[in-house]
Amino acid sequence: MTFITLRDSLTAHRGLTTPVVWALVALALWLLLPLGRPGRAFFPLNYDFHAFALPPGFYWLVPVAAVAIWLLQTTRLISMDRISDWQAALALSAAGGVIFFLFGTGTHFGWGALGTVLALLVSAGSALSSNSRIRGDTFVGASVFIALVFVTVFIVFPLLLVLRTAVWIDGTLTLSQFARTFASPLFLFLDNPFTEISEMGRVTTMIWIGAVTGAGLSVWRTGRIALSWRMIRPIVIWTLSGMAIGWALGIMIWGRGALPSSLLVACIAAPGGTALGFALALLGQRTRSKPLRGMLSVVSVLPFITPPFVIGFAIIFLLGRRGMVTYDLLGISPIDNPLYGIPGVALSQILGLAPVAYLILRGSLNGLNPALEEAARTLGASRWRVFCDITWPLVRPGIAASMLLATIESISDFGTPLVLGGDRNFLATEVFLALTGRYSQPEAAVYGTVLLAIVALVFVGSRVVLGAQGFTTVTGKPASGAFLPLPVWFEAILTAVALFWFVFILALYLTIFYGSFVQLWGINNTLTFQHYREFWQVGWPVLWYTIKLSAASAVPAMMLGGLIAYLVTRHRFLGRSYLELGSLLSFATPGTVMGLAYILAFNDGALLMTGTSAVIVLALVFRNMPVAIRASMAGLSQIDRSLEEASSTLKAGSGVTMVKVLAPLLLYPLLAGLIFAFVSAMTSVSQVIFLVGAGNNLATVLLLSWVEQGRLGRAAAMATVMIFGLLALILLLLVVSRRVDVRNSKKGMK
Amino acid sequence: MAAAAVSLNALTKRFNAAPPSVNNINLDIKPGTLVTLLGPSGCGKTTTLRMIAGLEIPSEGRIMIGDTDVTRMPPERRDVTMVFQSYALFPHMDVYSNVAYGLRVARRPVAEVKERVAEALALVGLGGFGDRRVDALSGGQQQRVALARALVMKPKVVLFDEPLSNLDAKLRRRVRGEIRALQQRLGLTAVYVTHDQEEALAISDKVVVMNAGRIEQIGSPHDLYHRPASLFVADFVGRANVLQAQWDGHAVQLGEMSLPMDSPLPAGPVQLILRPEGVRLARNGEAGLSGRITDLAFVGGATEVSFDTALGQVEAAVLETEAAGLCVGDTYRLAFDRSSTHILPANAV
Repeated sequence: MTFITLRDSLTAHRGLTTPVVWALVALALWLLLPLGRPGRAFFPLNYDFHAFALPPGFYWLVPVAAVAIWLLQTTRLISMDRISDWQAALALSAAGGVIFFLFGTGTHFGWGALGTVLALLVSAGSALSSNSRIRGDTFVGASVFIALVFVTVFIVFPLLLVLRTAVWIDGTLTLSQFARTFASPLFLFLDNPFTEISEMGRVTTMIWIGAVTGAGLSVWRTGRIALSWRMIRPIVIWTLSGMAIGWALGIMIWGRGALPSSLLVACIAAPGGTALGFALALLGQRTRSKPLRGMLSVVSVLPFITPPFVIGFAIIFLLGRRGMVTYDLLGISPIDNPLYGIPGVALSQILGLAPVAYLILRGSLNGLNPALEEAARTLGASRWRVFCDITWPLVRPGIAASMLLATIESISDFGTPLVLGGDRNFLATEVFLALTGRYSQPEAAVYGTVLLAIVALVFVGSRVVLGAQGFTTVTGKPASGAFLPLPVWFEAILTAVALFWFVFILALYLTIFYGSFVQLWGINNTLTFQHYREFWQVGWPVLWYTIKLSAASAVPAMMLGGLIAYLVTRHRFLGRSYLELGSLLSFATPGTVMGLAYILAFNDGALLMTGTSAVIVLALVFRNMPVAIRASMAGLSQIDRSLEEASSTLKAGSGVTMVKVLAPLLLYPLLAGLIFAFVSAMTSVSQVIFLVGAGNNLATVLLLSWVEQGRLGRAAAMATVMIFGLLALILLLLVVSRRVDVRNSKKGMK
Repeated sequence: MAAAAVSLNALTKRFNAAPPSVNNINLDIKPGTLVTLLGPSGCGKTTTLRMIAGLEIPSEGRIMIGDTDVTRMPPERRDVTMVFQSYALFPHMDVYSNVAYGLRVARRPVAEVKERVAEALALVGLGGFGDRRVDALSGGQQQRVALARALVMKPKVVLFDEPLSNLDAKLRRRVRGEIRALQQRLGLTAVYVTHDQEEALAISDKVVVMNAGRIEQIGSPHDLYHRPASLFVADFVGRANVLQAQWDGHAVQLGEMSLPMDSPLPAGPVQLILRPEGVRLARNGEAGLSGRITDLAFVGGATEVSFDTALGQVEAAVLETEAAGLCVGDTYRLAFDRSSTHILPANAV
């Protein structure tokens, strides 16, 4: 108490309000540390890049602004409200001055610039919060500014660079790179002169079939034909859409190149994975068999602990040219093996996406009110009728959400096409190959733009669909009651599917395990520890480095994610939807596009960071932040606002409230977010593959290169170690979560 | 014996381990009557209702609806509909489709469906609401849609599972009156579950008080209130003072007071059940129990007064006109109305 009064009187006396203090901190950092650095290394400090040694520039705004901010406070020439506005404006323009200088001269940023800009942002944020431009206190004001800047620098700015690189070539605005790429056989290869059939002809046939079907459907729908504009317009629309669908289907089936391949795989894998996931979710919620339920709860863990392409390479063990099933059992000769290409990629993705769909649809199913189905039954509907009339329509938004996510994941998938793609090209891999193989940034940027456009289209499309059928459930109280069991024959079919899937998955994982112990898969099956010895020599240092980087990225990802979730859910401020958009972008952008964006943004100039561990950590932080945001948001929505209000009526600021009230209650969600952030950092590959180099390779990238080189045994050894390690971690999380959950339930969780 | 509309015979339901949630229930429900299952939460009343609906399968016992044994019949084949606590309106259908659902499942002709749905909606006062979305309705309106959906099927029995618990107090009184009026007008057989004793007394032909899976008492609202069969019923239905007293076969001896009373109980120690509204201040010269006022609370129509007497705490509901001038600490003599008293054996619980 006395300390606070002391502090209050001091600040009142000397005008040392929070904005002034932080402006002075900025000034001190500006004076003490060099603004720039000569090369990639952050250390040692090089004072040739100190403010006094550099040519004059806008960075001199810093001392000017800092002194002005202080003077405004002490002299009080204008009213209090205006003082804060002016202070914020000064702090922001000083920060802008530093940034302008760095980008204008291409000076690589150093510790001084970093510290000064951050301190000035805190100063501006606290100034704006003190005159309630931002509703909240200093902590909220400062956090808003810092979150906005981070999201801009690490998500929005790099993505904008991708778009710019695609259209801004050699100093002119041009679409020539688009034209060149679209004409390239790598992108779309229609008429193959080496095949007997005419692909172009088939596509034309498909267009005609589409036109006739569309026209027929529209006539059938209206039921009559009349020659009025009102009748003709829908016919024209339906015919044209039929032609478009026919064209798309034709190209996907007979076309070659990245675009049709990616779309075709997505069209198979997204519905396939969703359907499988839905079957598993229905069973998980309603099966009469207990062991099946237990088996299904394992399902939800799988996608988190398996690097995405590991399923792909396990499939090679089983179904590949020398695969246990295809070669040894069925005797298919290696040349006739149909795995590589569309079938393999689609199969692998279906298996990988099913658990993701399972999680989404399980949540969606659990959200249903069992009384709805019971009501339908008392009104005379059989179990199957209830499923068709009630369960299915209500779970459709969940299906749409799952399809959306599965489509995006399928199109973004990088590892699987690389491992199983065969002679097919895919959009996500072409981004990488254009940049690292053909050394063409504009071409890579064009592929990136196409990917972004597809993802955006899918997103908008799903919003339209979901928006039309999002219904809030009408209930007063959550009703009790158990979910109806499924019709017996239906459950039998689903169980058969689930068992087949389970056996297949089990076989895949066992294959990896077994494959890590045999000399040369399919050729020399003698048991050996050789792969583990090689892994220990070559792989372990890389794996250890990966663990360190992942851990280093998980903590800031969690903190930043938690902060953004808190700001977005609990406060209203300018730029709130921008923060949400940023997190959505980092979640939905295909990893390869983000990787390319980071190369474009951080390979030179003011933000030079490539080649350092820092850029990998930052990439992982912003890649995994959305997971943390969602975990925190889910937790926050469980906590009644009155707890925070109680805390603030007891005179705690929002920073204190967040640390002392929210954080303990959010312990489990935060911990879960932390572990998931770590695990997904360990398993991500597509973005970081752009950023690694000889000195800082990552485990997944190394694993992928081993698979590509055909060193499957060694790869299997490393995959086994990773899977077991991550599995142990997830199990630990489950144990911890049970403990913490019990504690939380006694602590006023709503 | 007239055939019962619903008859429960030694009905028992066990979930997992003992004790059973519903334990050996026997009950006959006459056609055209409204029977309420009343009891605290967890007493098995909702489970009993769900067994009648077919949503739970009994562990033991038999359920007859009319002359049909429905014990193991699935819900969709029983001629029973239910109004759910959460209303369970289908959120993806409009009001019309909600009400029409059962008829459509039964493949009734379109014209008949239209006519019956319109009739049912008019019955609950929602004529013209057919094309509304259900989430655009108020709580009371949703409740009526749920009612119309149950009634449109013209079932043998309608089940109500705490249908009013999501409405506010005022609306609850109004809707319960409407439900009762409809039930009587249409001659419906209804089973109604509630934990609100006032609601049960207000609308029922017969009330079944349940506790811990067993039936405590079956009777008319009047019987339950004035002649509770157990201390539990006395306490659960209305408020009650319980005093230890002596019964000589003609009158209850209460200190120096003697209350004449009719009861088949043998002479001996008894428990006297005393309703608060039957406690009044004794007139001049009248014998009474002396009590000191410890608390006064004005609750609207009456004043609730707590007295400290030689036999223990006595709660009284005193009319406002008589309560004027009462002060905490004053001592009065209390007299008891004969109609508000009732005796139970001393070992009754």
